[in-house]
Amino acid sequence: MKHGDVIPFAGWEMPVRYTDIREEHMAVRNSVGMWDTSHMSRFVIKGPQASEFLQTLTTNNVSKLSVNGGQYTTCLNEKGGIHDDLTLYRVGEEEYIWITNAANGPKIKAHLLKHADKFDVEVTDKSREITMIAVQGPNALKLMNKMAGQDVSEYSRFSSYTVKLAGYDTYLCRTGYTGEDGVEILLLDTPFDDAGKRKAIAFWEELLKQGEEFDIKPCGLGSRDSCRLEAGFVLYGHELDEDTSPIEAMIPYAVKFKVDPHYIGYDVVESHKKEGGVRKTRIGLVMIDRGIPREHYPILQNGEQIGEVTSGGLAPTINKGIALGYVAPETLEIGDVVEVDIKGRMRKAEVTKWPFFDTDLYGASRTKHPN
Amino acid sequence: MSETEIKEGLRYSKDHEWIKVEGDIAIVGITDFAQNSLHEITFVEISEVGTVLEANGECGLVESMKASSDIFSPVAGEIVEVNGELEDAPEIVNEDPYGKGWMFKIKPSNLDADLAELMDAKGYADFIASL
Repeated sequence: MKHGDVIPFAGWEMPVRYTDIREEHMAVRNSVGMWDTSHMSRFVIKGPQASEFLQTLTTNNVSKLSVNGGQYTTCLNEKGGIHDDLTLYRVGEEEYIWITNAANGPKIKAHLLKHADKFDVEVTDKSREITMIAVQGPNALKLMNKMAGQDVSEYSRFSSYTVKLAGYDTYLCRTGYTGEDGVEILLLDTPFDDAGKRKAIAFWEELLKQGEEFDIKPCGLGSRDSCRLEAGFVLYGHELDEDTSPIEAMIPYAVKFKVDPHYIGYDVVESHKKEGGVRKTRIGLVMIDRGIPREHYPILQNGEQIGEVTSGGLAPTINKGIALGYVAPETLEIGDVVEVDIKGRMRKAEVTKWPFFDTDLYGASRTKHPN
Repeated sequence: MSETEIKEGLRYSKDHEWIKVEGDIAIVGITDFAQNSLHEITFVEISEVGTVLEANGECGLVESMKASSDIFSPVAGEIVEVNGELEDAPEIVNEDPYGKGWMFKIKPSNLDADLAELMDAKGYADFIASL
């Protein structure tokens, strides 16, 4: 196997690809792919007031989380802008795991520690003690069932259970970032030392070996980005930042209002949701003309710029250029045709819903299974 | 990158284009080093036939799965032909960068002076070794 181009990413050295980005991408859509996602930050929040503490800092309804439950949520600043987006798992009565973007790790750690003072909670950075591997695709659960020696496919989406996989202690999380069914595995007790690294590598090799019969492929950052883009998922630093609210980002499912206490940024987000007042709105685009939209390319309507692309690229599943971007609110509807300024060349694109792939054929809710 | 192919008899730009003179026409493409760095080329677009360019003038783009890169003309002149096969099969550039993966033909307007600014095979090998 080729060991693809390794690049610096958020303080880590990570492969862009192991073989080909499109091959890896299509393995995720047709069989199963796996990524080392240990670069992400993981914080454990524990204590009698953990739930109130987390509700102060996150926008989903923490009280709805039962033990073994999980939720996608955001953490806001005072202006309702997104400080971070994260997955929150409740792994015990008074214990939660907060999993977040690598680049936001230090910022979020400081934020958690600053607010923890007012609550009876303990915040621990476990980023260097837990290895994280995503296994995604229509065969992912078959592989997990085999490695667990039990049927883990009945665990609901977003759940997290302690499961032994080929003898390794893990939290098995029914989550992902590809639009496919699959899991994110937290491999416990793998500290950032020689023994811990050896154990993590041995587990990675075990996944590859046991996954062979399911056509598993190791995947790099390139296909991680193309899979999430094709699913229409937001990426911090592109679709999300400190000046964008979750309502503007079109992730309303991450935001709840019947919560107690109110979280930081509540009033701004509530006004965006209930009174309008959004400054921009996220859209999806599929190219009609030839061309690949890229970040920062202007989006035009009738010759006037109305927004810009925040992420773009080739969608391998449909073999067309696709993009996520922001435009002025209430300017566009699904099916409208706009132009993307591709380095001075005006190219037509259609405003489209996400995911960008055909959901009858691909994705977690596909009706036609490939196998 | 030791296995990068560099052909004798071509001239090379610092933007990793090659140029080959055939009579009063010059053929331009990107080097093996460039296609290898870009990997998986998904899209090639070159300015229309008839476009008049300065030396180092931007005249198209190459898209890979990861990034978009501009193409520049190593010499001044007028584009007289564009490789239409790349529209449907851009991966030809990965497979045969110095042959079937050529990008455009140009009728040079200041050939000798422009060629003097470019590197020969040895110079280009030293240049990529220094990157």
